[in-house]
Amino acid sequence: MSSFEPLIAVFSCHYCSYAAADLAGSSRIQYPPNIRIIKVPCTGRVSANHILKALERGADGVYVAGCLEGTCHFISGNYKAQKRVQYVKALLSEINIEPERVEMHFMSAAQGSKFAAVAAEMTDVIKELGPSPLNHSRY
Amino acid sequence: MGKGVLVIGGGIAGIQTCLDLADQGITVYLVECLPCIGGKMAQLDKTFPTNDCSICIMGPKLFEVERHPKTHLLAYSEVEAVSGQAGDFTVKVRKKARYVDEEKCTACGLCAEKCPVTLPDEFNLGMSTRSAIYKHFPQGVPSVYTIDKSACRVFQGKKCNICAKVCEAKAVDYEQEDTVFDLNVGAIIVAAGFDVFEPSDIKAYGYGTIPDVITSMEFERLINASGPTGGHLERPSSLNTKTEVKQLERRIRKAKARVKSLEKDGGRSSEEIQETLERMNERLAIIRAREASLQEVKEIAFVQCVGSRDFRYNRHCCSFGCMHSVKEAIVAIEHSAELQSTIFFTDMRAYGKGFHEYCMRGASEYGIRFVRGRVAEIGQGDEDRPFLWCEDMETQEVNKHPFDLVILATACVPSKGIEKLAKMIGFELDESGFVRTDSNTPTSTSANGVFVCGCAQGPMDIPSSVSMASAAALMAGRTLKALG
Amino acid sequence: METELRIGVFVCHCGINIAGVLNIEDLCRYADTLPNVAMVQANVFTCAQKGTSEIEKVVKEQGLNRVVVAACTPRTHEPIFRACCQEAGINPYFFEMVNIREHCSWVHRHNKVYAQAKARDLIRMAVARASFLEPIGTFSSRVEPKAMVIGAGVAGMTCALAIADQGFEVILLEKEVRMGGLLRHLHKIAPCDVTASKLIGEKVAAAEKDDRVKCFTSARVEEVTGCIGNYVVKFSSGQESYTDKVGVIVVATGGVPLEPVDLFNYDGKRVITQSQLEARLKKGDIEAKSVVMIQCVGARIPERNYCSRICCMVAIKNSLHMKKAVKDAKVFVLFRDIQAYGVENEALFLKAREEGVRFIRYRLDNPPVVEDGRVRIYHPGMGKEVSLPADLVVLSTPIVASSDSEDLSKVLKVPVDENKFFLEAHPKLSPLDFATSGIYLCGNARFPATVREATYQALGAASRASIILSHDTIERVGTVAAVEAELCSGCFVCVKVCPYKVPRMNENGKAEIEPMQCQGCGICVAECPAEAIRFRYASDEQITAACNALHAPQEIRSEN
Repeated sequence: MSSFEPLIAVFSCHYCSYAAADLAGSSRIQYPPNIRIIKVPCTGRVSANHILKALERGADGVYVAGCLEGTCHFISGNYKAQKRVQYVKALLSEINIEPERVEMHFMSAAQGSKFAAVAAEMTDVIKELGPSPLNHSRY
Repeated sequence: MGKGVLVIGGGIAGIQTCLDLADQGITVYLVECLPCIGGKMAQLDKTFPTNDCSICIMGPKLFEVERHPKTHLLAYSEVEAVSGQAGDFTVKVRKKARYVDEEKCTACGLCAEKCPVTLPDEFNLGMSTRSAIYKHFPQGVPSVYTIDKSACRVFQGKKCNICAKVCEAKAVDYEQEDTVFDLNVGAIIVAAGFDVFEPSDIKAYGYGTIPDVITSMEFERLINASGPTGGHLERPSSLNTKTEVKQLERRIRKAKARVKSLEKDGGRSSEEIQETLERMNERLAIIRAREASLQEVKEIAFVQCVGSRDFRYNRHCCSFGCMHSVKEAIVAIEHSAELQSTIFFTDMRAYGKGFHEYCMRGASEYGIRFVRGRVAEIGQGDEDRPFLWCEDMETQEVNKHPFDLVILATACVPSKGIEKLAKMIGFELDESGFVRTDSNTPTSTSANGVFVCGCAQGPMDIPSSVSMASAAALMAGRTLKALG
Repeated sequence: METELRIGVFVCHCGINIAGVLNIEDLCRYADTLPNVAMVQANVFTCAQKGTSEIEKVVKEQGLNRVVVAACTPRTHEPIFRACCQEAGINPYFFEMVNIREHCSWVHRHNKVYAQAKARDLIRMAVARASFLEPIGTFSSRVEPKAMVIGAGVAGMTCALAIADQGFEVILLEKEVRMGGLLRHLHKIAPCDVTASKLIGEKVAAAEKDDRVKCFTSARVEEVTGCIGNYVVKFSSGQESYTDKVGVIVVATGGVPLEPVDLFNYDGKRVITQSQLEARLKKGDIEAKSVVMIQCVGARIPERNYCSRICCMVAIKNSLHMKKAVKDAKVFVLFRDIQAYGVENEALFLKAREEGVRFIRYRLDNPPVVEDGRVRIYHPGMGKEVSLPADLVVLSTPIVASSDSEDLSKVLKVPVDENKFFLEAHPKLSPLDFATSGIYLCGNARFPATVREATYQALGAASRASIILSHDTIERVGTVAAVEAELCSGCFVCVKVCPYKVPRMNENGKAEIEPMQCQGCGICVAECPAEAIRFRYASDEQITAACNALHAPQEIRSEN
């Protein structure tokens, strides 16, 4: 599927990764247009259900972008999110969906270039994997 | 605390000090001489080292000043006299007539659209035009229009009235008068900011005679999305050429029409007109041929310390010139990746938080060339491109460098009204003309109950202005408590 | 209780920031097709007064009950539009903002077709989320009219005295045995030429004398809980432990000059630091006839990629003192760039040169070499290496963050940057505030500062703190979690998982969350196995709706 353009849902926290996305924007760092941000106050708000729902409803990939280790505005929200991401990855493996479709990434509010780099990296990874098996009917 | 505080100056320092006071429940009168608040920061495109869009981060504060129940925003106003002492000042304020009813104006802009007068726009430093009825800048607060009496036809005794006719809100009022009133305040904060040094005094740099030599403020407006070129980096000579082309085309059209009408009448046309037509067409062809090359902006230069650290003009350092140029170079390269920026500096002063890293990034990621040397002379070379002579202090070579655009990082000088204000209120200025303070009491002027913050005290960057503004608010509040 | 959802969508041109890449008309047409959308409008600058008053007008006229603005970032502009909704008569939380500038037009400039598709998707997701927004009110609580200032150097003491002067009690903590910080050891301060110990001695005396300021030395902050207006601080002072309630906290913990171990043959005897020089100047114990000072020792290098702001002025000041202390002393300052910014610094720099201090530039890739009795340096003006006589070599080192700044940052839950200096909320417009409300910052703890700068920063932080302290109560927006008791199974998960230890089990065996303490992170909401915790601000319904709207119904994903 050479013209496959993945749709990637990103759960982004207000204090760090959303701010990093803003910074990527004000720095005009260009990156692929495949991500769709869902803003949450803290990535700790994101449950396993939310990640699965995103996959179910059309995302070819999902990642949770939280604060750098040790700098979460809400102290440990990013660690909680990471645990849930690991749980979802394990679940996906069991049902034969590539666990690489779901990831946890860490960045600070000052890392605009990292936000863009992660967006580009995830787009490449999902492109390689192809459309989500849940989405085949759409292609 | 019945009395309030007077803040003179609506730039970022004045705005911050105003908000700190208002948030503590203290009444504040913010007097600004321009039609809108925002000061120099509103004219900037980006701010270093975060590259935040300046007006975007400032916008919410502008709104807050206007909307806060404890603030009285007196824009387009001036302080005329001050008497009394700390705890009990009487201040005479003149609120200049806008000839537009502020309550009725919806800032729809139709009046400016229809106004027949055009004159240079001060906010864009003369690089674009505005009408006689205008708004100082699009995101300006208060969001109302103002009639420039000196340009308006009605005030010149000529027939007009167009703005009054088209205004749906019926806000235009030629009969409006200045209002003069007294304020009784307990403390005064001077936040009058700074002025940009006029580099045409430095003949060797050619500012004013060479079109592609501009100041850093002018460059800010050129790269700003709401500036005269919508953010497209263009050389002034290219802009001038465009204007000339337009004018020539219009004159050619008129001349052609004249020829046609003459031929119709008498069967022959005047030789004179034919000659003029031929000359104009020739000129047009020449300009058109150069247009393409003028559009190119490949190499730009920033000249530091223009009028600063200079025995002839200002001895002091403008304190943000180095960072300002690095920022502009970075933003310019973002606009156009093939652009090469060179900064000619004396000392690279990047001493603030995050500043040194920003400069290093400028060099490594944006390819900015740093040449240590004071530029001696700027001239005009082939195809009217500017060039500059500079000794590279590292290699000891004296070189001539051609550029498409030369930006002068000009000195920061005291506001032109500060001397008058100092006499009026009774505070001292230092040898450089900035407001004198002690390092132990950094916001206190020599006059009791009168405080200072921001660049009025000395050249400084935005974080320093903002911190100092909060400090001044505290001191003013303290005066009110003790004496008000 | 409204019967019908009427969403108004406002799409912003933002001048050409958005309109230059995205087709606004197309977005408006698209928004109009979305469910529950009653009205769509485009604005050139939505945040300008005209834009916001338009929104108010249209909401009232069209009976809209939800507002979606597609424009720039909610991080700066959401409060304006929330206030606008409030003016228009609808709950400010019936507002959703979607970013089609920073997250779309600015970052997909060369990909207009896809950028347009993305903008449509984002608007669709925002409208879907807006359909499930809930009204949110405010809580209020009493403000403890007391402040805690951590650090009793010039910044900390200036701040503490200023806050006390406003009429509030201050707890002033100092980790050393004596108060005063770095100024206790300095000689004189430039350019005012004031004796440092005298200046700081006066402040210490004032702090000790002031009844409103309670000073604790050999102190350590052990634990901080609570939130703005009501922080509960546990600290120790020597062997004693204390707990107290304060409304605000100020971090003024300073910094330390780097010790240049293994740099330029530093030995603390003949190759010394500026601090050590000041100690000798103070004692009058200086004889060197030829002094070479080296700038940027351990600073402005890849391992420590910042400029320490004050070291050039320290060297210039001390070079003048050297000239005064030793007759005919030769003083050389070897520098990379002289940071004599502003008016008085530049004037002092000129004075030093006029007094005969010799300034010689060096490059990072060709540093001076310190040998016995001399320093070799490549002189760019002469184009060759010169050897400078050096009875004394003085190394100007940067101020670095205190070794315990990271520990304190964890206790206060505030961030530090890559150089371990405390990180303020916004480097331009909020340099003295932390993102965590009610905690402030000043002096070297933030970044190296002169006495003048530390003083006005301290006064500024006191001003910011006074804004909170000057009110009897503080209002808290209800973007907090609340337990629905009938669903709660009493499993204790929320109690265990909350980073702030806010949830408590009540006498009925049900969990309870104090709204004034809840920080609104939502961690417990996601963790609760019974889904018993309600979070109106980012509810499950809202997030699910956004996920559901990722794909447009019946839309085939293809190149076009």
